[in-house]
Amino acid sequence: MTQALRYQLLGIALALGVWEVVGRAIGAELFAPPTVVFPEWYALLREGQMLRELATSLRQMLVGYGFACLIGIPVGVGMGRSRLADALLHPWLSMFVVTSVASLVPLFILIFGTGFWFRAAIVFVASIWYVMLTVYQGARGVEPRFVDVGRAFGASRWRSFRTILLPALYPYVITAMRIGLVHAIRAMVVAEMFIIVGYGGLIYRAGLSLSTAPLLALLFTLMLVGVIANALLRGGARRIAPWYEQRVGAGGPAQG
Amino acid sequence: MMRNARALGLTALSILIGLALWQWAAWDISRVVFAPPTAVLARLAADIVSGVLPLALLRSLGALALGFLLAVAIAVPLGFAIGRNAKVAAMADPVLNAIYAVPPVAMVPFLIIWFGLFFESRVALVFLMSFFEILVTVAAGARNVEPTLLAVGRSFGAERARLVTRVMLPASLPFVFAALRVGLVRGINAMITAELFFAAVNLGALMKHSAQRFDTAGLLAVIVLLCLVGLAAQSGLKALEARLLPWHVRQ
Repeated sequence: MTQALRYQLLGIALALGVWEVVGRAIGAELFAPPTVVFPEWYALLREGQMLRELATSLRQMLVGYGFACLIGIPVGVGMGRSRLADALLHPWLSMFVVTSVASLVPLFILIFGTGFWFRAAIVFVASIWYVMLTVYQGARGVEPRFVDVGRAFGASRWRSFRTILLPALYPYVITAMRIGLVHAIRAMVVAEMFIIVGYGGLIYRAGLSLSTAPLLALLFTLMLVGVIANALLRGGARRIAPWYEQRVGAGGPAQG
Repeated sequence: MMRNARALGLTALSILIGLALWQWAAWDISRVVFAPPTAVLARLAADIVSGVLPLALLRSLGALALGFLLAVAIAVPLGFAIGRNAKVAAMADPVLNAIYAVPPVAMVPFLIIWFGLFFESRVALVFLMSFFEILVTVAAGARNVEPTLLAVGRSFGAERARLVTRVMLPASLPFVFAALRVGLVRGINAMITAELFFAAVNLGALMKHSAQRFDTAGLLAVIVLLCLVGLAAQSGLKALEARLLPWHVRQ
Protein backbone atom coordinates (compact mmCIF):
# COMPACT_ATOMS: atom_id res chain seq x y z
CA MET A 1 0.00 0.00 0.00
CA THR A 2 2.69 2.47 1.02
CA GLN A 3 4.75 1.14 -1.87
CA ALA A 4 1.93 1.96 -4.31
CA LEU A 5 1.42 5.35 -2.68
CA ARG A 6 5.10 6.15 -3.09
CA TYR A 7 4.91 5.39 -6.80
CA GLN A 8 1.76 7.47 -7.15
CA LEU A 9 3.45 10.46 -5.53
CA LEU A 10 6.49 9.87 -7.71
CA GLY A 11 4.21 9.88 -10.77
CA ILE A 12 2.63 13.18 -9.76
CA ALA A 13 6.03 14.72 -9.03
CA LEU A 14 7.34 13.50 -12.37
CA ALA A 15 4.35 14.94 -14.24
CA LEU A 16 4.74 18.30 -12.49
CA GLY A 17 8.46 18.28 -13.28
CA VAL A 18 7.89 17.61 -16.98
CA TRP A 19 5.18 20.28 -17.05
CA GLU A 20 7.57 22.80 -15.42
CA VAL A 21 10.40 22.07 -17.86
CA VAL A 22 8.14 22.15 -20.93
CA GLY A 23 6.34 25.26 -19.67
CA ARG A 24 9.61 27.12 -19.12
CA ALA A 25 10.93 26.07 -22.50
CA ILE A 26 7.96 27.27 -24.55
CA GLY A 27 6.79 30.15 -22.35
CA ALA A 28 3.65 31.19 -20.49
CA GLU A 29 1.93 32.51 -23.63
CA LEU A 30 1.75 28.93 -24.93
CA PHE A 31 1.87 26.73 -21.82
CA ALA A 32 2.40 28.23 -18.39
CA PRO A 33 4.52 26.13 -15.98
CA PRO A 34 3.11 25.14 -12.56
CA THR A 35 5.23 27.72 -10.71
CA VAL A 36 3.32 30.40 -12.65
CA VAL A 37 -0.07 28.65 -12.63
CA PHE A 38 -0.37 27.98 -8.90
CA PRO A 39 0.15 31.58 -7.73
CA GLU A 40 -2.37 32.61 -10.39
CA TRP A 41 -4.77 29.94 -9.13
CA TYR A 42 -4.40 31.21 -5.58
CA ALA A 43 -5.06 34.77 -6.72
CA LEU A 44 -8.20 33.66 -8.58
CA LEU A 45 -9.31 31.78 -5.49
CA ARG A 46 -8.89 34.87 -3.31
CA GLU A 47 -10.60 37.12 -5.83
CA GLY A 48 -13.74 34.98 -5.64
CA GLN A 49 -15.29 35.16 -9.09
CA MET A 50 -14.00 31.72 -10.04
CA LEU A 51 -15.69 30.03 -7.09
CA ARG A 52 -18.91 32.04 -7.50
CA GLU A 53 -19.26 31.05 -11.15
CA LEU A 54 -18.33 27.47 -10.30
CA ALA A 55 -20.99 27.27 -7.58
CA THR A 56 -23.70 28.62 -9.91
CA SER A 57 -22.69 26.29 -12.73
CA LEU A 58 -22.49 23.26 -10.48
CA ARG A 59 -25.90 23.99 -9.01
CA GLN A 60 -27.47 24.00 -12.47
CA MET A 61 -25.53 20.92 -13.45
CA LEU A 62 -26.68 19.04 -10.34
CA VAL A 63 -30.33 19.57 -11.34
CA GLY A 64 -29.78 17.92 -14.74
CA TYR A 65 -27.55 15.23 -13.29
CA GLY A 66 -29.97 14.53 -10.43
CA PHE A 67 -32.86 13.98 -12.83
CA ALA A 68 -30.63 11.80 -15.01
CA CYS A 69 -29.87 9.55 -12.02
CA LEU A 70 -33.45 9.55 -10.74
CA ILE A 71 -34.79 8.38 -14.09
CA GLY A 72 -31.79 6.54 -15.50
CA ILE A 73 -31.20 4.18 -12.59
CA PRO A 74 -34.72 2.65 -12.35
CA VAL A 75 -35.08 2.46 -16.12
CA GLY A 76 -31.67 0.77 -16.35
CA VAL A 77 -32.73 -1.79 -13.73
CA GLY A 78 -35.98 -2.39 -15.59
CA MET A 79 -34.13 -2.94 -18.85
CA GLY A 80 -31.71 -5.33 -17.20
CA ARG A 81 -34.44 -7.43 -15.61
CA SER A 82 -37.12 -7.42 -18.30
CA ARG A 83 -36.49 -8.63 -21.82
CA LEU A 84 -39.37 -6.64 -23.22
CA ALA A 85 -38.18 -3.37 -21.70
CA ASP A 86 -34.69 -4.13 -22.99
CA ALA A 87 -35.91 -4.82 -26.52
CA LEU A 88 -38.07 -1.68 -26.59
CA LEU A 89 -35.54 0.73 -25.13
CA HIS A 90 -32.19 -0.58 -26.28
CA PRO A 91 -32.26 0.78 -29.85
CA TRP A 92 -32.82 4.29 -28.52
CA LEU A 93 -30.20 3.85 -25.82
CA SER A 94 -27.60 2.83 -28.42
CA MET A 95 -28.53 5.79 -30.59
CA PHE A 96 -28.36 8.40 -27.87
CA VAL A 97 -25.14 7.05 -26.41
CA VAL A 98 -23.28 7.70 -29.68
CA THR A 99 -24.84 11.13 -30.19
CA SER A 100 -22.49 14.02 -29.53
CA VAL A 101 -23.59 16.49 -26.87
CA ALA A 102 -22.14 19.40 -28.79
CA SER A 103 -24.34 18.60 -31.80
CA LEU A 104 -27.44 18.91 -29.59
CA VAL A 105 -26.47 22.32 -28.24
CA PRO A 106 -27.74 24.47 -31.17
CA LEU A 107 -31.05 22.59 -31.16
CA PHE A 108 -31.51 22.92 -27.41
CA ILE A 109 -30.83 26.65 -27.60
CA LEU A 110 -33.72 26.97 -30.05
CA ILE A 111 -36.02 24.94 -27.81
CA PHE A 112 -35.04 26.17 -24.34
CA GLY A 113 -33.34 29.51 -24.91
CA THR A 114 -30.05 30.04 -23.10
CA GLY A 115 -31.21 30.08 -19.47
CA PHE A 116 -31.27 27.62 -16.65
CA TRP A 117 -33.37 24.97 -18.40
CA PHE A 118 -31.09 24.86 -21.41
CA ARG A 119 -28.07 23.96 -19.29
CA ALA A 120 -29.95 21.53 -17.08
CA ALA A 121 -31.44 19.82 -20.15
CA ILE A 122 -28.08 19.44 -21.88
CA VAL A 123 -26.55 17.91 -18.76
CA PHE A 124 -29.57 15.63 -18.44
CA VAL A 125 -29.38 14.19 -21.97
CA ALA A 126 -25.61 13.94 -21.77
CA SER A 127 -25.53 11.84 -18.62
CA ILE A 128 -28.76 9.82 -18.50
CA TRP A 129 -27.80 7.30 -21.21
CA TYR A 130 -24.49 6.45 -19.55
CA VAL A 131 -26.20 6.01 -16.18
CA MET A 132 -28.83 3.80 -17.78
CA LEU A 133 -26.32 1.71 -19.73
CA THR A 134 -24.12 1.03 -16.71
CA VAL A 135 -27.01 0.08 -14.42
CA TYR A 136 -28.45 -2.06 -17.22
CA GLN A 137 -25.22 -4.02 -17.56
CA GLY A 138 -25.10 -4.51 -13.81
CA ALA A 139 -28.73 -5.59 -13.51
CA ARG A 140 -28.35 -8.05 -16.38
CA GLY A 141 -25.27 -9.59 -14.82
CA VAL A 142 -26.70 -10.28 -11.36
CA GLU A 143 -25.73 -13.85 -10.49
CA PRO A 144 -28.90 -15.92 -11.16
CA ARG A 145 -27.96 -18.25 -8.29
CA PHE A 146 -28.48 -15.44 -5.78
CA VAL A 147 -32.02 -14.95 -7.01
CA ASP A 148 -32.59 -18.72 -7.05
CA VAL A 149 -31.51 -19.04 -3.42
CA GLY A 150 -34.01 -16.37 -2.45
CA ARG A 151 -36.73 -18.16 -4.37
CA ALA A 152 -35.82 -21.49 -2.76
CA PHE A 153 -36.26 -19.88 0.65
CA GLY A 154 -39.67 -18.67 -0.41
CA ALA A 155 -38.91 -14.95 -0.69
CA SER A 156 -41.63 -12.88 -2.28
CA ARG A 157 -40.85 -10.89 -5.42
CA TRP A 158 -40.59 -7.63 -3.51
CA ARG A 159 -38.45 -9.16 -0.77
CA SER A 160 -36.11 -10.75 -3.26
CA PHE A 161 -35.82 -7.40 -5.06
CA ARG A 162 -35.10 -5.48 -1.87
CA THR A 163 -32.73 -7.92 -0.17
CA ILE A 164 -30.98 -9.63 -3.09
CA LEU A 165 -31.17 -7.63 -6.28
CA LEU A 166 -30.76 -4.17 -4.80
CA PRO A 167 -27.61 -4.88 -2.74
CA ALA A 168 -26.12 -6.67 -5.74
CA LEU A 169 -26.82 -3.55 -7.80
CA TYR A 170 -25.34 -0.95 -5.43
CA PRO A 171 -21.84 -1.22 -6.90
CA TYR A 172 -23.17 -0.64 -10.39
CA VAL A 173 -25.40 2.21 -9.31
CA ILE A 174 -22.38 3.95 -7.81
CA THR A 175 -20.29 3.28 -10.90
CA ALA A 176 -23.14 4.57 -13.05
CA MET A 177 -23.29 7.74 -10.96
CA ARG A 178 -19.55 8.21 -11.32
CA ILE A 179 -19.58 7.76 -15.09
CA GLY A 180 -22.68 9.95 -15.34
CA LEU A 181 -20.98 12.69 -13.34
CA VAL A 182 -17.97 12.75 -15.68
CA HIS A 183 -20.33 13.25 -18.61
CA ALA A 184 -22.45 15.77 -16.71
CA ILE A 185 -19.43 17.99 -15.99
CA ARG A 186 -18.27 17.69 -19.60
CA ALA A 187 -21.71 18.65 -20.85
CA MET A 188 -21.89 21.59 -18.49
CA VAL A 189 -18.65 22.95 -19.92
CA VAL A 190 -19.75 22.30 -23.51
CA ALA A 191 -23.03 24.15 -23.00
CA GLU A 192 -21.48 27.08 -21.15
CA MET A 193 -18.57 27.53 -23.52
CA PHE A 194 -20.95 27.59 -26.48
CA ILE A 195 -22.96 30.52 -25.14
CA ILE A 196 -20.07 31.97 -23.08
CA VAL A 197 -21.71 32.04 -19.64
CA GLY A 198 -20.89 30.62 -16.23
CA TYR A 199 -17.73 28.68 -15.60
CA GLY A 200 -17.39 27.58 -19.22
CA GLY A 201 -17.65 31.22 -20.24
CA LEU A 202 -14.86 32.02 -17.80
CA ILE A 203 -12.69 29.37 -19.46
CA TYR A 204 -13.51 30.74 -22.90
CA ARG A 205 -12.62 34.30 -21.93
CA ALA A 206 -9.43 33.17 -20.17
CA GLY A 207 -8.38 31.68 -23.51
CA LEU A 208 -8.28 35.19 -24.96
CA SER A 209 -5.77 36.52 -22.41
CA LEU A 210 -2.06 36.78 -23.19
CA SER A 211 -0.91 34.23 -20.65
CA THR A 212 -2.22 30.67 -20.41
CA ALA A 213 -1.84 30.76 -16.61
CA PRO A 214 -5.46 31.80 -15.81
CA LEU A 215 -6.76 29.21 -18.26
CA LEU A 216 -4.72 26.44 -16.67
CA ALA A 217 -5.75 27.62 -13.21
CA LEU A 218 -9.43 27.33 -14.19
CA LEU A 219 -8.85 23.86 -15.63
CA PHE A 220 -7.06 22.88 -12.42
CA THR A 221 -10.12 23.85 -10.35
CA LEU A 222 -12.35 21.85 -12.65
CA MET A 223 -10.03 18.89 -12.29
CA LEU A 224 -10.22 19.18 -8.50
CA VAL A 225 -14.02 19.16 -8.69
CA GLY A 226 -13.99 15.96 -10.74
CA VAL A 227 -11.45 14.21 -8.55
CA ILE A 228 -13.15 15.22 -5.29
CA ALA A 229 -16.63 14.25 -6.50
CA ASN A 230 -15.28 10.91 -7.62
CA ALA A 231 -13.59 10.33 -4.26
CA LEU A 232 -16.80 11.24 -2.41
CA LEU A 233 -18.85 8.79 -4.47
CA ARG A 234 -16.24 6.10 -3.86
CA GLY A 235 -16.16 6.83 -0.13
CA GLY A 236 -19.96 6.70 0.03
CA ALA A 237 -19.88 3.43 -1.86
CA ARG A 238 -17.46 1.93 0.62
CA ARG A 239 -19.81 2.85 3.48
CA ILE A 240 -23.11 1.63 2.09
CA ALA A 241 -21.68 -1.30 0.12
CA PRO A 242 -18.32 -2.48 1.49
CA TRP A 243 -18.20 -5.17 -1.20
CA TYR A 244 -18.10 -2.40 -3.82
CA GLU A 245 -14.39 -2.31 -4.73
CA GLN A 246 -14.01 -6.05 -5.12
CA ARG A 247 -17.10 -6.34 -7.31
CA VAL A 248 -16.39 -3.51 -9.67
CA GLY A 249 -12.61 -3.30 -9.49
CA ALA A 250 -10.77 -0.18 -10.49
CA GLY A 251 -11.92 0.32 -14.04
CA GLY A 252 -15.65 -0.21 -13.75
CA PRO A 253 -17.68 -2.35 -16.14
CA ALA A 254 -16.72 -2.60 -19.77
CA GLN A 255 -18.48 -0.33 -22.21
CA GLY A 256 -20.96 -1.99 -24.53
CA MET B 1 -33.57 -17.86 -36.44
CA MET B 2 -37.02 -17.48 -34.85
CA ARG B 3 -35.49 -15.50 -32.02
CA ASN B 4 -33.64 -13.23 -34.41
CA ALA B 5 -36.84 -12.47 -36.25
CA ARG B 6 -38.56 -11.67 -32.98
CA ALA B 7 -35.76 -9.42 -31.81
CA LEU B 8 -35.81 -7.63 -35.16
CA GLY B 9 -39.55 -7.16 -34.87
CA LEU B 10 -39.24 -5.70 -31.39
CA THR B 11 -36.48 -3.34 -32.54
CA ALA B 12 -38.68 -2.14 -35.38
CA LEU B 13 -41.58 -1.73 -32.96
CA SER B 14 -39.37 0.24 -30.59
CA ILE B 15 -38.26 2.60 -33.34
CA LEU B 16 -41.84 3.06 -34.51
CA ILE B 17 -43.07 3.84 -31.00
CA GLY B 18 -40.23 6.30 -30.50
CA LEU B 19 -40.95 8.05 -33.77
CA ALA B 20 -44.65 8.21 -32.95
CA LEU B 21 -43.89 9.80 -29.57
CA TRP B 22 -41.58 12.29 -31.25
CA GLN B 23 -44.23 13.14 -33.85
CA TRP B 24 -46.79 13.65 -31.11
CA ALA B 25 -44.39 15.79 -29.05
CA ALA B 26 -43.54 17.91 -32.08
CA TRP B 27 -47.23 18.47 -32.68
CA ASP B 28 -47.69 19.49 -29.10
CA ILE B 29 -44.69 21.79 -28.68
CA SER B 30 -45.20 23.51 -32.04
CA ARG B 31 -43.73 22.50 -35.34
CA VAL B 32 -41.57 25.58 -35.63
CA VAL B 33 -39.45 24.95 -32.56
CA PHE B 34 -39.21 21.19 -32.82
CA ALA B 35 -39.58 19.54 -36.20
CA PRO B 36 -41.53 16.24 -36.41
CA PRO B 37 -39.73 13.10 -37.63
CA THR B 38 -41.55 13.17 -40.96
CA ALA B 39 -40.08 16.59 -41.72
CA VAL B 40 -36.63 15.56 -40.50
CA LEU B 41 -36.54 12.35 -42.54
CA ALA B 42 -37.78 14.18 -45.63
CA ARG B 43 -35.10 16.80 -45.09
CA LEU B 44 -32.41 14.16 -44.51
CA ALA B 45 -33.36 12.39 -47.73
CA ALA B 46 -33.46 15.65 -49.71
CA ASP B 47 -30.08 16.82 -48.40
CA ILE B 48 -28.49 13.46 -49.08
CA VAL B 49 -29.83 13.35 -52.64
CA SER B 50 -28.75 16.92 -53.33
CA GLY B 51 -25.26 15.98 -52.15
CA VAL B 52 -24.99 18.69 -49.48
CA LEU B 53 -24.76 16.34 -46.51
CA PRO B 54 -22.53 13.64 -48.05
CA LEU B 55 -20.07 16.27 -49.27
CA ALA B 56 -19.87 18.02 -45.90
CA LEU B 57 -19.50 14.66 -44.13
CA LEU B 58 -16.73 13.60 -46.50
CA ARG B 59 -14.83 16.80 -45.78
CA SER B 60 -15.32 16.30 -42.03
CA LEU B 61 -13.96 12.77 -42.13
CA GLY B 62 -10.43 13.89 -43.05
CA ALA B 63 -9.78 15.43 -39.63
CA LEU B 64 -11.44 12.44 -37.96
CA ALA B 65 -9.29 9.87 -39.77
CA LEU B 66 -6.00 11.67 -39.12
CA GLY B 67 -6.73 12.44 -35.46
CA PHE B 68 -8.04 8.95 -34.73
CA LEU B 69 -5.13 7.15 -36.41
CA LEU B 70 -2.60 9.27 -34.54
CA ALA B 71 -4.42 8.54 -31.28
CA VAL B 72 -4.45 4.78 -31.96
CA ALA B 73 -0.78 4.74 -32.99
CA ILE B 74 0.32 6.37 -29.74
CA ALA B 75 -2.30 5.29 -27.20
CA VAL B 76 -2.27 1.52 -27.87
CA PRO B 77 1.48 0.93 -27.26
CA LEU B 78 1.45 3.40 -24.37
CA GLY B 79 -1.55 1.62 -22.85
CA PHE B 80 0.32 -1.69 -22.96
CA ALA B 81 3.40 -0.14 -21.38
CA ILE B 82 1.27 1.22 -18.55
CA GLY B 83 -0.86 -1.88 -18.10
CA ARG B 84 1.92 -4.47 -18.14
CA ASN B 85 4.15 -2.76 -15.61
CA ALA B 86 2.82 -2.36 -12.06
CA LYS B 87 5.24 0.45 -11.20
CA VAL B 88 4.49 2.47 -14.30
CA ALA B 89 0.77 1.86 -13.73
CA ALA B 90 0.99 3.16 -10.15
CA MET B 91 2.85 6.23 -11.36
CA ALA B 92 0.53 6.93 -14.27
CA ASP B 93 -2.70 6.31 -12.36
CA PRO B 94 -3.12 9.64 -10.48
CA VAL B 95 -1.88 11.66 -13.46
CA LEU B 96 -4.29 9.97 -15.89
CA ASN B 97 -7.18 10.33 -13.45
CA ALA B 98 -6.44 14.02 -13.12
CA ILE B 99 -6.26 14.61 -16.86
CA TYR B 100 -9.36 12.49 -17.43
CA ALA B 101 -11.30 14.69 -15.01
CA VAL B 102 -10.75 17.76 -17.21
CA PRO B 103 -13.44 18.02 -19.90
CA PRO B 104 -11.75 17.87 -23.32
CA VAL B 105 -13.81 20.81 -24.60
CA ALA B 106 -12.15 22.97 -21.97
CA MET B 107 -8.94 22.43 -23.97
CA VAL B 108 -10.46 24.30 -26.92
CA PRO B 109 -8.91 27.69 -25.97
CA PHE B 110 -5.52 25.97 -25.82
CA LEU B 111 -5.93 24.33 -29.15
CA ILE B 112 -6.86 27.70 -30.65
CA ILE B 113 -3.65 29.21 -29.23
CA TRP B 114 -1.52 26.35 -30.52
CA PHE B 115 -3.15 25.31 -33.76
CA GLY B 116 -5.47 28.10 -34.88
CA LEU B 117 -9.06 27.66 -35.96
CA PHE B 118 -8.91 25.22 -38.84
CA PHE B 119 -7.89 21.73 -39.87
CA GLU B 120 -4.98 21.31 -37.43
CA SER B 121 -7.00 22.15 -34.34
CA ARG B 122 -9.84 19.87 -35.45
CA VAL B 123 -7.34 17.02 -35.78
CA ALA B 124 -5.94 17.92 -32.36
CA LEU B 125 -9.36 17.81 -30.66
CA VAL B 126 -10.18 14.44 -32.25
CA PHE B 127 -6.79 13.17 -31.13
CA LEU B 128 -7.26 14.41 -27.56
CA MET B 129 -10.75 13.05 -27.12
CA SER B 130 -10.06 9.58 -28.48
CA PHE B 131 -6.50 9.30 -27.14
CA PHE B 132 -7.39 9.15 -23.45
CA GLU B 133 -10.37 6.89 -23.97
CA ILE B 134 -8.18 4.38 -25.87
CA LEU B 135 -5.29 4.69 -23.44
CA VAL B 136 -7.44 4.04 -20.36
CA THR B 137 -9.23 1.05 -21.94
CA VAL B 138 -6.06 -0.58 -23.25
CA ALA B 139 -4.21 -0.07 -19.96
CA ALA B 140 -7.06 -1.65 -17.98
CA GLY B 141 -7.25 -4.57 -20.42
CA ALA B 142 -3.50 -5.18 -20.47
CA ARG B 143 -3.45 -5.25 -16.68
CA ASN B 144 -6.13 -7.94 -16.62
CA VAL B 145 -4.75 -10.39 -19.20
CA GLU B 146 -5.43 -13.82 -17.70
CA PRO B 147 -2.18 -14.77 -15.89
CA THR B 148 -2.90 -18.48 -16.38
CA LEU B 149 -2.67 -18.04 -20.15
CA LEU B 150 0.82 -16.63 -19.83
CA ALA B 151 1.74 -19.31 -17.28
CA VAL B 152 0.65 -22.08 -19.65
CA GLY B 153 2.72 -20.55 -22.44
CA ARG B 154 5.71 -20.30 -20.14
CA SER B 155 5.41 -23.86 -18.90
CA PHE B 156 5.36 -25.08 -22.51
CA GLY B 157 8.71 -23.35 -22.86
CA ALA B 158 7.68 -20.41 -25.04
CA GLU B 159 10.35 -17.73 -25.04
CA ARG B 160 9.48 -14.05 -24.65
CA ALA B 161 8.94 -13.13 -28.29
CA ARG B 162 6.74 -16.16 -28.86
CA LEU B 163 4.82 -15.45 -25.65
CA VAL B 164 4.06 -11.95 -26.90
CA THR B 165 2.96 -12.92 -30.42
CA ARG B 166 1.15 -16.16 -29.58
CA VAL B 167 -0.39 -15.45 -26.17
CA MET B 168 -0.32 -11.76 -25.31
CA LEU B 169 -1.46 -10.48 -28.69
CA PRO B 170 -4.50 -12.75 -29.20
CA ALA B 171 -5.49 -12.28 -25.56
CA SER B 172 -5.32 -8.51 -25.99
CA LEU B 173 -7.22 -8.10 -29.24
CA PRO B 174 -10.68 -8.11 -27.60
CA PHE B 175 -9.98 -5.12 -25.38
CA VAL B 176 -8.00 -3.37 -28.10
CA PHE B 177 -11.12 -3.62 -30.24
CA ALA B 178 -13.26 -2.35 -27.38
CA ALA B 179 -10.86 0.59 -27.06
CA LEU B 180 -11.06 1.29 -30.80
CA ARG B 181 -14.86 1.28 -30.69
CA VAL B 182 -15.07 3.69 -27.77
CA GLY B 183 -12.28 5.82 -29.22
CA LEU B 184 -13.88 6.07 -32.65
CA VAL B 185 -17.24 7.13 -31.26
CA ARG B 186 -15.51 9.76 -29.14
CA GLY B 187 -13.57 10.81 -32.23
CA ILE B 188 -16.78 11.34 -34.18
CA ASN B 189 -18.14 13.40 -31.29
CA ALA B 190 -14.91 15.40 -31.26
CA MET B 191 -15.17 15.97 -35.02
CA ILE B 192 -18.55 17.72 -34.77
CA THR B 193 -17.58 19.47 -31.52
CA ALA B 194 -14.54 20.90 -33.28
CA GLU B 195 -16.59 22.10 -36.23
CA LEU B 196 -18.93 23.94 -33.88
CA PHE B 197 -16.31 25.37 -31.51
CA PHE B 198 -13.52 26.37 -33.92
CA ALA B 199 -14.30 28.02 -37.26
CA ALA B 200 -17.69 26.63 -38.35
CA VAL B 201 -17.07 24.42 -41.39
CA ASN B 202 -18.63 21.38 -43.09
CA LEU B 203 -21.37 19.80 -40.95
CA GLY B 204 -20.80 22.34 -38.18
CA ALA B 205 -21.41 25.19 -40.63
CA LEU B 206 -24.61 23.50 -41.85
CA MET B 207 -25.79 23.30 -38.24
CA LYS B 208 -24.97 26.91 -37.50
CA HIS B 209 -26.79 28.13 -40.62
CA SER B 210 -29.84 26.04 -39.75
CA ALA B 211 -29.80 27.38 -36.19
CA GLN B 212 -29.69 30.97 -37.43
CA ARG B 213 -32.76 30.33 -39.56
CA PHE B 214 -34.60 28.52 -36.72
CA ASP B 215 -34.60 25.51 -39.01
CA THR B 216 -34.83 22.61 -36.55
CA ALA B 217 -35.48 20.12 -39.34
CA GLY B 218 -32.10 20.99 -40.81
CA LEU B 219 -30.42 20.71 -37.40
CA LEU B 220 -32.02 17.37 -36.63
CA ALA B 221 -31.13 16.01 -40.06
CA VAL B 222 -27.43 16.59 -39.29
CA ILE B 223 -27.82 15.10 -35.79
CA VAL B 224 -29.52 11.99 -37.21
CA LEU B 225 -26.82 11.65 -39.85
CA LEU B 226 -24.07 11.87 -37.21
CA CYS B 227 -25.87 9.34 -35.06
CA LEU B 228 -26.10 6.94 -38.02
CA VAL B 229 -22.39 7.46 -38.76
CA GLY B 230 -21.58 6.65 -35.12
CA LEU B 231 -23.71 3.50 -35.16
CA ALA B 232 -22.22 2.42 -38.49
CA ALA B 233 -18.68 2.91 -37.19
CA GLN B 234 -19.49 0.87 -34.12
CA SER B 235 -21.11 -2.01 -35.94
CA GLY B 236 -18.39 -1.93 -38.61
CA LEU B 237 -15.73 -2.48 -35.97
CA LYS B 238 -17.90 -5.15 -34.33
CA ALA B 239 -18.21 -7.01 -37.64
CA LEU B 240 -14.46 -6.77 -38.17
CA GLU B 241 -13.94 -8.11 -34.67
CA ALA B 242 -16.25 -11.04 -35.33
CA ARG B 243 -14.24 -11.95 -38.45
CA LEU B 244 -10.83 -11.55 -36.88
CA LEU B 245 -11.55 -12.99 -33.45
CA PRO B 246 -14.25 -15.61 -33.87
CA TRP B 247 -13.27 -17.20 -30.55
CA HIS B 248 -14.09 -14.06 -28.64
CA VAL B 249 -17.42 -13.02 -30.04
CA ARG B 250 -20.05 -14.90 -28.11
CA GLN B 251 -23.69 -14.60 -28.91
